[in-house]
Amino acid sequence: MTASSGSVRAAAPAQSPVHATRLRSLQALGIFCGFAAGAWLGGAEAPIKLVNPDISPITVSFIMVLGVFLARWSVPAFIRGTWHLRNDVRQAPHLIVWAVLAGCMWAVANTLTIYAIRNVGLSIAFPLWNTNSLLGIFWGFLLFNELHYAGWKRWLGVLGGAVCMFGGATLLAIASSHQAAPGKAALGIFAALGAGILWGTMYIPYRKAYLTGMNPLSFITFFTIGELATMTVLAVAYRGAIPLWHELVGAREVLFWLMLGGFVWVLGDLFQQYATKYVGISRGIPLSNTNQLWGLLWGILVFHELRGAGQTVYAQVAGGSLLMALGAVAIALSSASEREHSSWQDAAQREGRRYRVEDEYVQAGMEGREMVRTEGTGRDLPRDRNTRTSLDWLLIFITTGLFAVLAFMARLPHIDISMGWAVVLTTAMLALLATCGITLWRTTRFR
Amino acid sequence: MSQPQTERSLFRAVVTDLHFWIPLTVLLGGFFLLDKLS
Repeated sequence: MTASSGSVRAAAPAQSPVHATRLRSLQALGIFCGFAAGAWLGGAEAPIKLVNPDISPITVSFIMVLGVFLARWSVPAFIRGTWHLRNDVRQAPHLIVWAVLAGCMWAVANTLTIYAIRNVGLSIAFPLWNTNSLLGIFWGFLLFNELHYAGWKRWLGVLGGAVCMFGGATLLAIASSHQAAPGKAALGIFAALGAGILWGTMYIPYRKAYLTGMNPLSFITFFTIGELATMTVLAVAYRGAIPLWHELVGAREVLFWLMLGGFVWVLGDLFQQYATKYVGISRGIPLSNTNQLWGLLWGILVFHELRGAGQTVYAQVAGGSLLMALGAVAIALSSASEREHSSWQDAAQREGRRYRVEDEYVQAGMEGREMVRTEGTGRDLPRDRNTRTSLDWLLIFITTGLFAVLAFMARLPHIDISMGWAVVLTTAMLALLATCGITLWRTTRFR
Repeated sequence: MSQPQTERSLFRAVVTDLHFWIPLTVLLGGFFLLDKLS
């Protein structure tokens, strides 16, 4: 691989470097997206907390993925229209393979976490699978030239920040754990580590897609096909088709909350995808892992999870939160230099050559701008537009209608929740959604 | 200027890409682990 990529680099025409001002604004955008991702991925835990724990974890995961599937098609249809999807597929058809593969990995990793929590508890399992960001840094460096020519200060910022966040995550997980004494510890540890390795490696397809110019809105639509197919196979295999159906019918009053959790999660994941695109996996993934802080805020403020806990627990929460915040700030301040970014372009060029992706498509994707129309390639693009087709409106209508029906059937369980804090946190999330969404639109038009 | 890929050349480009085999191997390992856990 190294030899071939070297020859490609030598043969390829030099791409024009991204202008320094544009690079800075894209880096800032990616970091902002990483923080917004943390808020929405963490907020996705809130609706799930409303669900009766008697429902099997596999079924919970399956219902969430149904919500995720609907969101991954309707949100892109709403934002830009599926018209863009066809263009991306024409330009880079290989990315369908990568997206489906990543979706399969996500589903298996998510199922493994269920076994990990069951066998060793959240306090041990969470930090173990949170190592995914360290693995992401490793793959980013090894395969995609991330952190090359970064200098020791940026290395220290990214690696030190990730280690700091890992320590913070460990403290938070211990503090928020209410699990019973673990049984089958070895299996649980293997499951948690397996989930971390799967998630950490899943970022290879992510980076692959974004280096070759694909739009995150297109990537997630294929990603979710792998996700839903794998989750359906796993749910039917572990539960059986008939028992699964009975469980779904029996859970009709909580379907809305679970699918809402999936929907919220997709918005967070979308920001994570944009973070990965513009600051790479070595920075984007640790920033998204701040979701643990948001999950904890929801748990403590809205669901009163630490009520009556001792001083030690509160000290662990404060220390863990501080460590995570410091780690995130260190990473946010270590954005890629022009020199590092040019080595990303080398990796992008290598990918473009291998998969015969048009240079202008790759370059436009990296710069977050519209592709300039080219003639005579057989893949000419019409001018960019954001019109929606009848198919897009149908997707939006079906999803909205289904959520409305499920909301009508839903019941709020009798649990002690603080509505005031729920409103405050929801407002904060919506503010982040609006500001980050507007910034994405202004800077890249959601490219 | 690069030319569009045929299905055959696309398949070839994917399977000869080491990057493809890393996640695929990890995915198969995940299925194996799930099988042991169930």
